[in-house]
Amino acid sequence: MNSQSGKVMVVGGGIAGLTAAWELARQNVSVELVEKSCFLGGHSIGYTCKATDTCQQCGACNVEKMLKNVVGEPLINVRLRTEVSSLDRSKGFKVSLKKSSDDMAEGLILKGFSRHNSPLHVKGKGVTDEAPEGALGIEEMGSEGEIDVDAVILATGFTPFDAELKGTYGYGKWENVITGLEFENIVRENAGIVRPSDGKRPEKVAFIQCVGSRDERLGNLWCSEVCCPYAMRMAGTIKHDNPDAEVSIFYIDVQNTGKEFPVYYEKIRENVRFVRTIPVDIYPIENDSLKLRHMAEDEGSPSFEEFDMVVLSVGIMPGADSKTVSETFDTPLTVDGFLDDSVDSGVFVAGTAAGPGTIAGSMAGAGKIAFDAVKYLGGAK
Amino acid sequence: MMAETTNTIDVTINKDVLVIGCGTQGLEAAEAVAAKGYKVVLVDDADLPAPAANAIEVMANTKVESLAGLAGDFRTCLANGSGRSERTFGAVVVAPRYGLAPLNEAYGLALNDKVVTMTQMEALLDDGAFKETLVQGEGKSIAFLSGFGQEGDPAATSRVLEAALTVQQAGNSRAYVYANNVKVGARGLERLFTQGRNEGVVCFKPLEKPAIEQGDTLKIVINDPVVREDVELEPDYIVVEEAVVAGPENLAFAEILRIDTDLDGFIPSNNVHRFPANSNREGIFVASQPADAANVALRVAELLDNGVRTVAKNAAVVDENKCTICLTCYRCCPHGAIFWENGIAAISPVACQGCGICASECPMDAIQIGDFTDEALTADIQEAVASVSGTPSIVAFCCQNSALEAGEAAKAFDAELPQGFRMVQVPCAGKVDVEFIMKAFVEGADGVMVAACHEGNCKAERGNTFAKWRVEEIQKRLETIGLSKDRLIFTTIASNMAEEFSMKVRMFAEQL
Repeated sequence: MNSQSGKVMVVGGGIAGLTAAWELARQNVSVELVEKSCFLGGHSIGYTCKATDTCQQCGACNVEKMLKNVVGEPLINVRLRTEVSSLDRSKGFKVSLKKSSDDMAEGLILKGFSRHNSPLHVKGKGVTDEAPEGALGIEEMGSEGEIDVDAVILATGFTPFDAELKGTYGYGKWENVITGLEFENIVRENAGIVRPSDGKRPEKVAFIQCVGSRDERLGNLWCSEVCCPYAMRMAGTIKHDNPDAEVSIFYIDVQNTGKEFPVYYEKIRENVRFVRTIPVDIYPIENDSLKLRHMAEDEGSPSFEEFDMVVLSVGIMPGADSKTVSETFDTPLTVDGFLDDSVDSGVFVAGTAAGPGTIAGSMAGAGKIAFDAVKYLGGAK
Repeated sequence: MMAETTNTIDVTINKDVLVIGCGTQGLEAAEAVAAKGYKVVLVDDADLPAPAANAIEVMANTKVESLAGLAGDFRTCLANGSGRSERTFGAVVVAPRYGLAPLNEAYGLALNDKVVTMTQMEALLDDGAFKETLVQGEGKSIAFLSGFGQEGDPAATSRVLEAALTVQQAGNSRAYVYANNVKVGARGLERLFTQGRNEGVVCFKPLEKPAIEQGDTLKIVINDPVVREDVELEPDYIVVEEAVVAGPENLAFAEILRIDTDLDGFIPSNNVHRFPANSNREGIFVASQPADAANVALRVAELLDNGVRTVAKNAAVVDENKCTICLTCYRCCPHGAIFWENGIAAISPVACQGCGICASECPMDAIQIGDFTDEALTADIQEAVASVSGTPSIVAFCCQNSALEAGEAAKAFDAELPQGFRMVQVPCAGKVDVEFIMKAFVEGADGVMVAACHEGNCKAERGNTFAKWRVEEIQKRLETIGLSKDRLIFTTIASNMAEEFSMKVRMFAEQL
């Protein structure tokens, strides 16, 4: 019960990788946690708390907690700015590591989102400004060489949909058209929602759902599962901070947030307007505001509406490097391009690398994978 | 902070595990726990299939009549046809089975051979003779109702989409789905939905619940929002959706085990810190979703380990000279960690989570919490106020699970905090006594802040609520003694919200 040995490599330090690493360590397995960026936490460490006065169960605070667990755990060795270059399975798992590109930080001082990140700041290539105390230069980071492990867990995560591909929404052209992910970071860093163009609090906000997901034309035949929950929770936060604000959510089908959803949904509909249609396009108007054209179901003709800010609920796409990861680890891809988690060969897949999922779902799934991995090591007796 | 040297003691605990409920999740949980090397007793009040692992003892048609004791030492009474037996377990796993209730009444329909439940249609589609009728002649037209009798979920949607596709693929038959929100938020469902439509399943999404006539024939009328006119259909069968309901035994489990349910009556309560497998009581776990079994096994193994648990001796200590067994602590402990023996309250060091709610609520001040004794906290308060020169001096009692993290992060990232701001760490806002708040004012604090977790996010379930009550109580007292009640505030914050924390503190300082 308490005599596990062996070593597992976890690739990816987002919430799934952190949880998998932590759960392995709880079973006395040592872990090599490899993260290609300079910080742990992945996308979800940047998410904001969406509580009103009441917790909305988004799980963002769980990421903070898990990161704290992992950095304090001696059985987990964290290697930042490191990628796997190749895997040799002729005898066990021999993993070759390389430093990931330093282009990501060119001219920038990067900042971690959590105080449990070490370092908190990373000084990129070509930065001449003075960096905050304790900042590491990117060139000081990263691991190389070979490591032998007994199993691998891939937790390489997702890539958010590139909203510029939906050209008619003007993302990247109109400052106050932002993605849901950017909304998360803005609230986290500003203690409230502000417009990128002028730092003012928006009074009229639209959320557009299914940007990149459920899109047959793009071949994206999946629901990203997280966008309805985050949009509804963020809409609730806006209304809580500013009861006079008007918030509309444009949608195809409302997806559930989890436990107690019917009660939650009924309540949020008292304050937030739901419009069943996906808007056609967005134009800029005066004051950096936006005009949105849509075909409302109950109106039958195009109508125009003005907003101070539009949030695009971008979906969860396969990781940009999922193809490379698939080749390196000889793990098949699903028809949608995510890593196939149904193959049991000592290379396991956890979290959104395998498909869309919430923080809670990724954590539960990573726990299960850590359990399965230990079983695979032959120690689960 | 460390008032005393922490002493630990080794507690021997029982390593057997009781699994209650033998649905898919119960069986999987039993097998996962057995795979970790623990002896499992699986009970269900119905007949049971035999599980594969032989470390599992099966007790069919058996009820759990009572459960006493605490994590590591749960004493249960199991009853069946051959009598009652007393058994002791280190941990308990509950895997409630849920029932399905047809929602025909929501559509004004009576069930008969043409109006059937989803379960009945699934059975028909498995029946060769019925399937034959779908192929012969013109086949059948079958209408599925989804999402107007309840909000629904991906599991329910998945059943509709699967069945509709089967009907459509059978040959000459036609499937119609009347849906509100199509719940495709689970792996593979959007693809299934698309496949169905490509193969001819017709999906209507009316804005209102369909109007249905049930006579010799069936007739469904909707106003279709796409073509903007009424669409009528006279199907051969109507399939009504079913709601997942918590059975009466679910609530009985919750009561016997003293664990919390969510608003819908499902266990466990809706709290992100419990997710995925924990309940509010140490040693009692819940398996309700597919990934839960493995997570339950991990938590069981963490608790029971090799049968010896090293715990802090002083986690929560009851002073026998002060305790009058008023049972306040027993009632307010959110973790069910308190019992009584030898004439005083006793707190299990295995089950105790150290929140300190009991210590603050105890009318006799008979309980001291580990590193957070009254003496240690009083010293912290004195030091906090004394270390400030200038005004305003603010003492913030910060829950170590949320506000303290946010405050430390604010410091680490150089967020702006007032000069005279000091944090006093507490294990939970529920440990902030009335005396501590008053002490801070007496020592000379200009303002006192009690910073807790958001409602519904407290690891001790109700620690934040206790703190809020106490703050409101003291605000009243401040007014009666002629001080402004605005010198004391209660606020809630999440651990990851450094900037918000900094903003809240600055606003408080300005107000002072």
